[in-house]
Amino acid sequence: MAEHGSGAGSVPAIDVGDLLQAADRGHPLLLLDVRNEDEVRAWKLEARRPIETVYVPYFDFIEDEPGSVAKVPPGRDVVVLCAQGGSSEMVAGMLAEAGVPARNVRGGMVAYGEYLQPAAVPLGPGESSRFAIWQVNRRGKGCLSYVVASNGEAVIVDAMKNEEWFEAFAAQRGLRIIRVLDTHIHADHVSGGPALSQRLGVPYSVSAGEGFDLRQPVAPLDDGQVLRVGGERGVTLEVRVMRTPGHTPGSTSYLVGGRYLLTGDTVFVGSVGRPDLGGHVVEWGRMLFATLTERLAPLGDEVLVLPAHYAGVQEIDENGIVAGRLGNLRRTVPELQFRTADEFVASVRAAVKDPPASYAEIIKVNLGLSSAPLDRITEWELGKNECAASARRAALG
Amino acid sequence: MAVRQLDARGLKCPMPIVKAKKEIDAMAPGDQLEITATDPGSVTDFQGWVKTNKRAVLKEQRQEQDETGRDLYIHLLERTDG
Repeated sequence: MAEHGSGAGSVPAIDVGDLLQAADRGHPLLLLDVRNEDEVRAWKLEARRPIETVYVPYFDFIEDEPGSVAKVPPGRDVVVLCAQGGSSEMVAGMLAEAGVPARNVRGGMVAYGEYLQPAAVPLGPGESSRFAIWQVNRRGKGCLSYVVASNGEAVIVDAMKNEEWFEAFAAQRGLRIIRVLDTHIHADHVSGGPALSQRLGVPYSVSAGEGFDLRQPVAPLDDGQVLRVGGERGVTLEVRVMRTPGHTPGSTSYLVGGRYLLTGDTVFVGSVGRPDLGGHVVEWGRMLFATLTERLAPLGDEVLVLPAHYAGVQEIDENGIVAGRLGNLRRTVPELQFRTADEFVASVRAAVKDPPASYAEIIKVNLGLSSAPLDRITEWELGKNECAASARRAALG
Repeated sequence: MAVRQLDARGLKCPMPIVKAKKEIDAMAPGDQLEITATDPGSVTDFQGWVKTNKRAVLKEQRQEQDETGRDLYIHLLERTDG
């Protein structure tokens, strides 16, 4: 059996991006997940439409090859998935030998966890000629970054740790990155913001109100400050800084062109950001309630909320975007229905759950207090984000 | 009772299990196999594999670090009569 999988490249393979694209379109794939039960329970590959999946651990194939091969229905477009792509390659090889065509998902769940999918946010008439917003979706984690561009310049918001990807994305479109912004200090994934700003020699901004001692240099931003993208003259895009504390005390939102609100973890499409990560759920919960009811109140219902996370693939719309009009969210998000701070705090307290795995280590790296090799970061980040306040949403994670 | 050693450092799945299976198949009942791996996924994989195969039980799993600070995952298997 050791022969299988050793001949790299001999087994047909598919990249995660192509797999997700096919599955999102409803192409009838059969996913053979060969990870062990614990890994499957903790984290699954998801597309916009359900993927028919068969679970047979790879060690079953090692123990009983014919019996395991027989569990795979014939005549299907089979893709084989494991944690890192090695075991699935072996299994795909066994299937091929048995006359069952199958492709290996290259890099497995690790590649799924790293894959970044950009999609252009549809803008209104008169806007798309002036600026562009790309939402970069880290599908395996449910994390969202943004590239906001106008007139050859771009700012990156909530960059993920693959900073070279953002640099290349901007370069391919002839965009010069002028600033890197984080909405807050992330606890669930390592930010690419500081590294990207250092690579490019441009300012990195995150609120000083986070109350942390950041080691990397930070360009401070004031509430209401306006950043200009696209030069000081001619066609410029305004990005307005809005303090929106609660998820963290320094959480900041960015209002792009007066109509697109990059909320970070303050408001999601189906929930709000959990205010319990600092261990001060009552105090931060009250801050969040004031943010939601007072600070966001002047914004019109037509403002499009573009969050930093989502809880499930059902939140990705037909354009491949996770977004919601503020008016819709005001009507539908359970946490936005409370009329008093007491009711709101009682609700978020009841939903308190464990912090994200390895969050203490991740925060330290994001503060610049420590560093870690990439494979260790990959291990910390495995699995879906747990950033929403509602218990219902948490169950989907 | 003999204790065999299997060095699976640097190997990614499926190789630690593939190699352990070869050893276990060649061992006498009561003999033990100690596998030293660096892949953290090997922890749940060995737990799962012993549920499937009837020829080995998992006696112990522990985590150590080598002199460079690299995490080592050590699995002790015992060959059964199966």
